[in-house]
Amino acid sequence: MRPLLLAVLAAYLNAAIHSILAFVNKRRSLQRVAELSIAAGFILHTAALIADWAIDGHYPLFYLRETLSFLAWTLVAAYGLILYRYRAQAVGAFTMPVISVLTFIAILIRSGPNGEPAATGVGATWFFPIHTTLWIFAYAAFFVVFMASVMYLLQERELKLKIFSANFHRLPSLSTVNELATTAAALGLTLSTVGIATGMLWSSTRYGRFWHNDPKEIFAVLTWLLYLLLIIYRSSARWRGRRAAWLGVVGFALVLCTFFGTRLLGGYHVFG
Amino acid sequence: MSIVLVGVNHKTAPVEVRELLAFSEKASTEGLRGLVDGEIIREGLIVSTCNRVEVLTATTTEQLHLGTQRITEFLDSARGLPTGFLSKHLYSHTDDQAVRHLFRVASSLDSMVVGEPQVLGQVRRAYSLAVEAGTAGRVLNRLVHHTFRVAKRIRTETGIAANAVSISYMAVELGKKIFNSLKGQTVMLIGAGEMAELSARHLVNAGVGRVLIANRTEEAARRLANEFGGETIPFDQLAEFLPEADVVICSTDAPNYVVTEPLTRHVREKRRNKPTCFIDISVPRNIDPAVGNLPNVFVFDIDDLESVISSNIREREREAERAELIVQSEVMQFQQSLRAMDIGPTIGALRQKLQELARAEMDRHRNRLGSLTSEQETAIEALLMSTVNKISHPVLNQMRRSHEISDSDTVQALRDIFGLEE
Repeated sequence: MRPLLLAVLAAYLNAAIHSILAFVNKRRSLQRVAELSIAAGFILHTAALIADWAIDGHYPLFYLRETLSFLAWTLVAAYGLILYRYRAQAVGAFTMPVISVLTFIAILIRSGPNGEPAATGVGATWFFPIHTTLWIFAYAAFFVVFMASVMYLLQERELKLKIFSANFHRLPSLSTVNELATTAAALGLTLSTVGIATGMLWSSTRYGRFWHNDPKEIFAVLTWLLYLLLIIYRSSARWRGRRAAWLGVVGFALVLCTFFGTRLLGGYHVFG
Repeated sequence: MSIVLVGVNHKTAPVEVRELLAFSEKASTEGLRGLVDGEIIREGLIVSTCNRVEVLTATTTEQLHLGTQRITEFLDSARGLPTGFLSKHLYSHTDDQAVRHLFRVASSLDSMVVGEPQVLGQVRRAYSLAVEAGTAGRVLNRLVHHTFRVAKRIRTETGIAANAVSISYMAVELGKKIFNSLKGQTVMLIGAGEMAELSARHLVNAGVGRVLIANRTEEAARRLANEFGGETIPFDQLAEFLPEADVVICSTDAPNYVVTEPLTRHVREKRRNKPTCFIDISVPRNIDPAVGNLPNVFVFDIDDLESVISSNIREREREAERAELIVQSEVMQFQQSLRAMDIGPTIGALRQKLQELARAEMDRHRNRLGSLTSEQETAIEALLMSTVNKISHPVLNQMRRSHEISDSDTVQALRDIFGLEE
């Protein structure tokens, strides 16, 4: 559904530009344009995903192209939730460009049955789409942790040094980003736990074994452990601040390794 | 009709001059009734604050110069100052410049502290006094309402009023930055000085839940506690209560550190790492600067606050540049709406049209009249013109009256009857 995705990209780009301008200029009218664009883009994107599913005949989360598109869609939903729950509009100035890039790459890539292994057979049990979907959701949650942690660190540094930059007044408060990071980390951990479990179940029904020792699996478990640590660390006090935020930033590097694990190091996993 | 503004402000006149000139509310309404004569000066309004005294009028354009002179004389005489005493302090603006000036004043771009919120209220008050005095008419009504819109637009679209520019307000700003909202948070005052009181007032207005006050003399503490519905705590039990405080404002005249590092370590542990914001406005300092090295503890001393404030002021000034652009475009918009309001051209066009009709008829029938002396010709011309004017007079009057009460339907109907194009 490339034409539809192009429209989606246009909406996201427009939203990205307006979010950034709203961040810099603090204009409510700009923010409203951004939010309307996001809503329009999200609806079109949902339609595109459903159309893909109907036309291609498999759950639209298998090839790299589909994965990126689905990830972008999830991030938009996540931003929507953040806007609704925390009124943290500054998040848009950071997320929307990422979402636009993801969508753009998804359009550029012409991966499909010829370039990559066929999608046939994998969808035989319902474990597979659940496994992939949960992981995409988890990736989005970890991205939110990363972003909130960066916002925390930037502001904490300025508060400690007592030098406030122009961004200082535009970012959400420390307690907001702290709470956001904690919530998103807990969510990401839950999602990835079930994601790993369904992956194992799927693998055991298809190949008869739970574990393949491939890089993506190893990274996934490392990621899972790190966020488990982060959650334990955070919940052992009322507030964790800088160290927890650093963990959220470093952890994201591991998340990226997990995401690109197969690309870099091979293995039987494909995207998703 | 022209808009004329004459006045002094903190940039052109020292306080000795401004205080001589200041108008009380009573003096303002009385002065306006005297100034507005319905002939040259049609409408008037006086803005009098501690930083400015300005007279804003709608003046007949033909008598602009005389009008400006009248206002200057009015300012001199109203306060019994010798003639010409004010001349080197006064500025006067007309039309675009006057509109622009008023927009800037009301939006607090012309204030000593850019973005301060009081001036808009003062302009609002000045307007209601003018309404009371019956000296606010069509032009000023429109101008003042437009001014309120501009001020509101600038306040919401730019950050000229965004960041704290006073020490006492910094506590609110820092508290919000750390805790997002001050609702339900606890603030502790160590020392009950004037500065602490001012900060506490801002914090309470921002919704702080509990106010704890520790002071060496309990009487002062109790006074503040009564004022803010707070609780006094014994000064020597500070350590016990400190863990409950989210924002701590320290302003005692103690010569040593009241909040030490070991104490803060204990506080942090008790708070299970929840951040604390310490604001130390005392000199010598009451909070050990080493406290600031502890994680999740933020300490600001008076110098830190001053430097943040000066950067906030610079930020406001940057925002003010954007506000100036808004003022610019709003002045143009106001000019347009004022032009649409002007009935003059319509009346001129109608009169000319009728006169042309009369002249054309005269030309058509001229040869039937035979030869006439030049006196006779002039007499006929005069007869025609006075007939036309007599007939059109009530129409034009009706048009003016309808326009005066903004009855544009009638004005349009009259235009249609006489076939006037836009």
